Amino acid sequence: MKSRHKFLPWLYILPGLVLVGVIVIFPILYTGYISLTNMNMYHWDNYHLIGLENFRRALLKVDYGFLSALMATIIWTVLNIVIQVGVAFFIALGLNAKGLKLARVYKTLLMFPWAMPAYVSILLWRVGMFNTEFGFFNKILAAMGVGKINFLAGNIQAFISCMVLNLWMALPFMIMMMDGALQSVDRSYYESAKLDGAGFWKQNRYITVPAIKPMLVPAIIMTTFTTFKQFDIVYLLTMQKGALSGSTFQTIITYVHQNAFVSNNYGLSSAVSIVVFGFIIIFSLFMNRGIKEEP
Amino acid sequence: MSIKKIRHVVGLTALNVLFTVICIVALIPILYAVSLSLSNGNAALGSGLLFWPKEVMFRNYSAILLDEPFMLWIKNSAILSGGTMVVAMGTAITAAYAFSRYRFKGRNGVLKMLLILNAFPQILSMFAIFRLFKTFHLLNSYVGLIIAYAGSMCIFGIWNMKGYFDTIPVEIEEAARIDGASGNQILLKVVLPLARPAIIVTAVMVLIFVWNEYLFSTTFMMNQSNYTLAAGLYQLQSNDYSTSWPLFSAAAILVSIPLLIVFFCIQKYMISGLTAGGVKG
Repeated sequence: MKSRHKFLPWLYILPGLVLVGVIVIFPILYTGYISLTNMNMYHWDNYHLIGLENFRRALLKVDYGFLSALMATIIWTVLNIVIQVGVAFFIALGLNAKGLKLARVYKTLLMFPWAMPAYVSILLWRVGMFNTEFGFFNKILAAMGVGKINFLAGNIQAFISCMVLNLWMALPFMIMMMDGALQSVDRSYYESAKLDGAGFWKQNRYITVPAIKPMLVPAIIMTTFTTFKQFDIVYLLTMQKGALSGSTFQTIITYVHQNAFVSNNYGLSSAVSIVVFGFIIIFSLFMNRGIKEEP
Repeated sequence: MSIKKIRHVVGLTALNVLFTVICIVALIPILYAVSLSLSNGNAALGSGLLFWPKEVMFRNYSAILLDEPFMLWIKNSAILSGGTMVVAMGTAITAAYAFSRYRFKGRNGVLKMLLILNAFPQILSMFAIFRLFKTFHLLNSYVGLIIAYAGSMCIFGIWNMKGYFDTIPVEIEEAARIDGASGNQILLKVVLPLARPAIIVTAVMVLIFVWNEYLFSTTFMMNQSNYTLAAGLYQLQSNDYSTSWPLFSAAAILVSIPLLIVFFCIQKYMISGLTAGGVKG
């Protein structure tokens, strides 16, 4: 029986491990190898090892765009998460207000942006909201007598437009998580706090936030990862094939894609991938230190 | 009425107004698309902000279903989603079970590695996969894309279902063992039925992921006959805006409806399913 236990679990996980090994781990290793070569469009087959040259180019030369993409990604992630958590908290508080009978209806309606396929939402926004000719925003501006704006042309406009869209798409998830967490807080705490004379802010600061924190940490970490690696919005809004909007704002993920599939700098793009992977490992280790695995 | 009560009523009314506004704002992009898809194409583009077209027409819907290869796109997406689900779930269920039930050497290491790999965006190694697929002639093939999707979905599935398996008491299995059930029998007849909610949610999330994925499908499937819904819509949208925008809205609505239905059906489990996996991770 005992010897079988040594063997059986591996038999169960082997198919999964083989799949992951072939399609996830091996390509990462291969990416690492490509990052050490001068592979590009002209050297598709006859590439050779050039050592750490690609890493030097990416990390040290400002004009290669990696550093600015990294900065943009960090600002992007922080801003999005802060706004999401803040706004979602207050909306969820509102949804849980005593006596709000229509809360369920509001919740259902607010779910829609989350349930739409992401690429559909993004393309709908690109043509339906942001477009200079028939976009909704420009129709409003025209109705108010203001001239048309190209929301995706400049870097700052494009960044803000992408952020608005990302919030639209991501807030429902955060609101639902907050709502679920809020419902688990014991109401009797508030009663006694009120008796002690605590106001709205004090109640939230000392009861609500500490109570929902442990439930929300995993959700926020998960959202941070998704926001950090958000590719679709930036790519589909500003840089799809043959439809560049004029903005040059990039996150590191779009930067990697751009260098691999548009500029054909396979070596450089792979080097950046490996650097990003390094960040992710450090970040995950840091994040998981607090969360213990049961024995 | 006491002052307190009046304040409460006023507060609630304000809250209701506020939420009505929030909901309308949140739904504008969708309502706008619906109204365009029902309108007579170009007329809607010129006119104002009205959300209900002057005459309701289903011309765009019939055009997308009959004139465009929409059914072909659906077929391709269905093959990819179904195939990915079978491969990913087939490998993930047994693995999640083993990780949850057995304590063996290397268990923690493998789990931690899977967790980190789960955070790694597959886009970053997309070029390497592309090159490998080109070498092995897997571009433009269902098999290649299914394996590529299944790899990342398998990791997600293992973590998500392991969290749920952990909550099923071992005693039930021990009882079955005493009654003479073999390891495979226990897995098939005892554990899987008990874990059905987690398995359904995970499977549906795999389906949704593939249904929604466009980057790999547009990069790896280059023939028109291989286009998925995402690739098809992408191409519709990138054509001349003025003519294809109502058509595109109709297609977008059609693609979203099945997903919306599925989503609202499993929504309740979704949050608990996700947090269960997340807390343990």
